[in-house]
Amino acid sequence: MKRKFLVNIVGVLLAFLLGAVVMLVQGYNPLDTYYQLFAYSLAPGKITYTLSKSVPLILTGLSASVAFASGPVNLGQPGQLLMGALLATIGGLYVNLPPLLMVPFLLILAMLGGALWSGVAAMLKYWFNMSEFITTLMLNMIADFFTYWAINYPFFEKNSNFPQTPLIAQSGWMPVWGNLNSSVIVMILAFVVVWFIMNRSTAGYEWRLSGQNSLFSRLGGVNVNKNYIVVMLLTGALAGLAGGLVVMAGPHRFIKDIGANYAWDGVMIAMVANSDILLTLIFGFFFSILQTGSVGMELITAVPKELIEVLQAVIVLIVVAGRGYFESLFAKLEARRKMKEITV
Amino acid sequence: MNIVIGLINGMISSATPILLAALGGALTFYAGIFNIAMEGMMLGGAFFGMLGSYYFHSWPVGILFAILGAILMALIFILFAVVLKMDEFITGIGLNLFSAGATTYMLRQIFKVKGAFSSPEIVPIPNLDIPLIKNIPVIGDILSGHNLIVYLTIVVVLLTAYLVFKTRFGLRLRAAGYNRTCLDTSGVSANRIRIASLLLCGVLCGLAGAYLSLGYVTLFSEGMSAGRGWISLAAVILVSGNPAGLTLISLLFGFTDGLGLYLQKTLPSQFTSMVPYVATLVALFVYSVRTKKKQIA
Repeated sequence: MKRKFLVNIVGVLLAFLLGAVVMLVQGYNPLDTYYQLFAYSLAPGKITYTLSKSVPLILTGLSASVAFASGPVNLGQPGQLLMGALLATIGGLYVNLPPLLMVPFLLILAMLGGALWSGVAAMLKYWFNMSEFITTLMLNMIADFFTYWAINYPFFEKNSNFPQTPLIAQSGWMPVWGNLNSSVIVMILAFVVVWFIMNRSTAGYEWRLSGQNSLFSRLGGVNVNKNYIVVMLLTGALAGLAGGLVVMAGPHRFIKDIGANYAWDGVMIAMVANSDILLTLIFGFFFSILQTGSVGMELITAVPKELIEVLQAVIVLIVVAGRGYFESLFAKLEARRKMKEITV
Repeated sequence: MNIVIGLINGMISSATPILLAALGGALTFYAGIFNIAMEGMMLGGAFFGMLGSYYFHSWPVGILFAILGAILMALIFILFAVVLKMDEFITGIGLNLFSAGATTYMLRQIFKVKGAFSSPEIVPIPNLDIPLIKNIPVIGDILSGHNLIVYLTIVVVLLTAYLVFKTRFGLRLRAAGYNRTCLDTSGVSANRIRIASLLLCGVLCGLAGAYLSLGYVTLFSEGMSAGRGWISLAAVILVSGNPAGLTLISLLFGFTDGLGLYLQKTLPSQFTSMVPYVATLVALFVYSVRTKKKQIA
């Protein structure tokens, strides 16, 4: 456990070092830049904002982590997020319930939207054996254009000069306390549920088993096909939930590019976390620190905030490569020690 | 008649980048590498191609830069996937996102713009008129007047087919994919072959990128590869890398793309833009139904 954390921290530090070299080459002061980055996102009044911003990252990260750990290569989080956001928005435009019912209602709609879209990919795999890896990618592009059409024609806000829907009913807005958005509570609930399923339930055990060795688990009596469908629907629902919360917590309407890059960031988070649920939470918050801080960094030090996108990808590559490298190194050391014990 | 000619020309021009990237992907496919980084290599090529053409006011330099840019991406892939033995899938996803981030960052840092950069200083790759043939009515309109890269692509298809099936390198390439241990024990480093195939893939993706930013249009915009790398990957999987098959599939995708543009008169543009991606799904569907039938029979 300790070793696992150490590898991650060393990897992140190495990536930061590389980033520092890039900054030095361009004539920026790396120490000051990193200081401003963290000072901005971790300042007392700001940290709750950073936490609120981590919600879509962590939820899509959980979606990818559960999928990768269980076998299905669901890369459809971007599309599932958009479909979840769209369905929640439509619900918020046409239904008006008291807040206590409205918020769960819209969240369920969001999850349905995401599960619907991942369900299409699951169905194509189940009946026609089409690899979800390619189909989810294609469905991402289709969802992108479809939602863009939806906010341009049927749900377009009249007289607006930007592709967007009208505001959803106020009862569906997530309550806000200062900088802290209540969507954080939903995210933590989702995390607890996912952690429990993956680490403490039979279903989660079977999923992880299938992820490690599908044939073995089938021979052991696991219904691999059924689990595949359930995992796809669950991970779609998680990504959809992220989309619904983005709408309900943020602009309260579906505007163009609302999905930003959350879902691909989520995929990166799952990869760097090695599909570990707890590490997904930690790295999700860490990526949110980087992204929130990048705004302050640009304001004060003039380093463009796009640098953080590069840094994120570098962190993923280095941490994952480092993990493999260290693991083989430790294995070698272990073997050498055992050899000595035998010879002595 | 004009519509047909327009459709055919549209088909050829949108098939070109997909075909180039798919040929690159095919080389790595034969070498047994699960290479999904064509998207990132193409994007890197498109950016550096624009950069070279802008600073040197010359399209050959642009093409050279595009190839070098894509090779740079391929080198990163080699470093992580071959040298450090990292999972190819994770490397590919990481590299694609790295490429998207890095080109956006450089666009901001070097050209001080967000979104897209275009300038009259960027010299596009010229179109070629074939003497004699261009004067023949219909056929001349179809065969002549395409971008230089389009004609180059035809050569590349033939060269790739020759390289893979008729040369010693091609034999080793396929051996690296079939059974790398066997290749290693016969005295040829499988890793060296894999590295060579990735570098060649970089060259071809660089050409595809140059076509995007210096041929198709004369500008660079963020994420301008727009999923073409993924479509080319789907094409590679569909025909197991066969160059002739890739040509057909790419032309089919190109046709649906052109058809989408033509349908814009009757359908909202968002739906017509979906057409190539839906076509990919349909192609995968037909493929899987066919394989199923074969298995039963």
